[in-house]
Amino acid sequence: MNLITALARLLIFPGLLFAVPAAWFFLWVERKAVALMQGRIGPPFMQPFYDFIKLLGKTTPLREGIGGLLMKAWPLLAVSSAAGAVALLPVLPSSGGFEGDLILLLALLEVPSMCIIAAGFSSRSIFGEIGSAREAVLSVSYNVVFLLAIVSIAASQHTFRLEALAQLPASPLRWLGVLAILVCLPAKLHLNPFSLPNAEQEIYSGPMVEYAGPELAMWELSHGLEWVAATGLVATLAAPHVTLWWIAAPIFVALSFAIVLLLSILASATARLAIDTTVRFYWQCTLIFAVLAISSVLFMRLRS
Amino acid sequence: MSYKIPMGPFHPALEEPYKLDLICEGETVSDAKLHIGFNFRGIEHLAETRNYIQVIALMERVCGICSNIHTLTLCQAMEGLTNLTPPPRARYIRVVVAELERLHSHVLWAGIAAKLMGFKTMFMTCFELREKVMDVLQAISGNRVNYSMNRIGGVNRDIEDPLAVLKMVEALEAEMARTVIPIFTTSTTARSRCAGIGVLTHEKAISCGVVGPVARSSGVPQDLRHDAPYAAYDEMEFNTPVEPDGDVRARLMVRALEIMESCRILRQALTKMPPGELHTGDAKFNFVTGTSTSRVEAPRGEVMYSVSWREGSRNPARVHVRTPTFVNMPAIRWMVLGARLADTPLIQASIDPCYSCTDR
Repeated sequence: MNLITALARLLIFPGLLFAVPAAWFFLWVERKAVALMQGRIGPPFMQPFYDFIKLLGKTTPLREGIGGLLMKAWPLLAVSSAAGAVALLPVLPSSGGFEGDLILLLALLEVPSMCIIAAGFSSRSIFGEIGSAREAVLSVSYNVVFLLAIVSIAASQHTFRLEALAQLPASPLRWLGVLAILVCLPAKLHLNPFSLPNAEQEIYSGPMVEYAGPELAMWELSHGLEWVAATGLVATLAAPHVTLWWIAAPIFVALSFAIVLLLSILASATARLAIDTTVRFYWQCTLIFAVLAISSVLFMRLRS
Repeated sequence: MSYKIPMGPFHPALEEPYKLDLICEGETVSDAKLHIGFNFRGIEHLAETRNYIQVIALMERVCGICSNIHTLTLCQAMEGLTNLTPPPRARYIRVVVAELERLHSHVLWAGIAAKLMGFKTMFMTCFELREKVMDVLQAISGNRVNYSMNRIGGVNRDIEDPLAVLKMVEALEAEMARTVIPIFTTSTTARSRCAGIGVLTHEKAISCGVVGPVARSSGVPQDLRHDAPYAAYDEMEFNTPVEPDGDVRARLMVRALEIMESCRILRQALTKMPPGELHTGDAKFNFVTGTSTSRVEAPRGEVMYSVSWREGSRNPARVHVRTPTFVNMPAIRWMVLGARLADTPLIQASIDPCYSCTDR
């Protein structure tokens, strides 16, 4: 991949030009689906876009003692890394990629969460700090099973290249991994029952409490991009391999859409769990997944 | 490291302004301080400047949720000072409105508890149901919040067709038994947020003197509708649900069971409603000098009014109100000790606090 194609992928497709509308679309789908399940009408189609534009037009009041530059930097860093993660997704077959891009994707997916933690602490609000602490604890617990799942998928198919993974036929271990990643997604996207860091009834909105105006718009955008990247990753791993791009792309979008719907149903059907229950849940998941992964590897070794 | 987290006076978890200063060690609460008085309106003083007709309309505005309970208690106290007895039909209508109000208050509380657990779908379901209860109240009184049903010696409006109201109540009962109660009692996430948290032991409940559903969920079987019947409660058959555990789940269960008992009382009151007058027919009242008290089981517990009058005066000399939240509130401190920070909004809400009544 040369510089020009890399830039094109980052800025045009599947990067910003595709990813930003997709982010707004996914945010709308989630809000609308939850609203319909709760007996409400829900927002109009363009609402996430309107929210973004409206927030961009506001000025943030200056606050004493809060580092202005850092507060502005965290959301921008989150947006750019989430956009980078989306750009790495092999939406179109034979769209390039390089050995090890899966590892880069994972790293980029992790940056927004770290930005949220840092932003909560740099906002110097007690609610922000508690939210950040919760986010940190949550990220330590779900990331173990998340990384374990991805590493075992990659190791079982002997490649860390996303496109190669997408083209290989799926093994049982891969389905197990996809399931484990799905279990982690609500926590990664701060959805119920794991919406602890941004629990508004407990700590207002946690790390975001001091944010307003364009910076908040950036956070919203990075959240939307995280949706696209995370659901896209699952769709990449779960989609059947098709060589024709005009069939592959709709399958990819339909799968992402289905995952968004699935997560929305889960979010609207559950109450928020407390932090210790959440941590216990994810460590139990880790344990179960580790046992299943190792036994499936042993089983495959014995068979071959 | 311990730090102080202010909860309130304005907080998404609070319906009304009050403040809870939580001293936390990490995510664990080690102490709590309660501040009230953000909603003081001087209603007790205003009551002394109103005549016996106006004071009823004034006291109806003490609380937006249990408005009927306040006028009912006040009218009962004033009936004690004028030696009037409401006719049987009026007493039945008082029971119907009071029980509908209990339904609406409990469903509203269930919705708020669900919201505090982060369970917004349940919140919407509860508020939809509450809307239907309010429709019944509107069908009876023409009003949704301040029903103005009570007067000295009876009620202002008749329930002309009790059987039509009964149909609405039965539809409500079926929907509650189908949605709210099973979800609250069986949902795993809801149970994990409620079971074993905010425990108020039986001993502590007695020493704090808590009332209403909070007392009943700590194993104290007190209910004024049984212990000191007023209106037509002595002619109704119903149970008082009591749970021994004293945690948030027990409070949830007590209120859920009370919803079903309220429906049972409503069914009896609407089918057995005797014909007759709505009130004694007096337009002018002669009060005797003295103090009269009246107690009523409000949705949140015992409400007590103490009304003093001087003979020949049109205005009360003193109207004193004691609301259930005033006695239940100090128990919050004991409930949140050692609790997780995430649970404190739910724990403080589990007593169903009403600070506009308490501050008045």
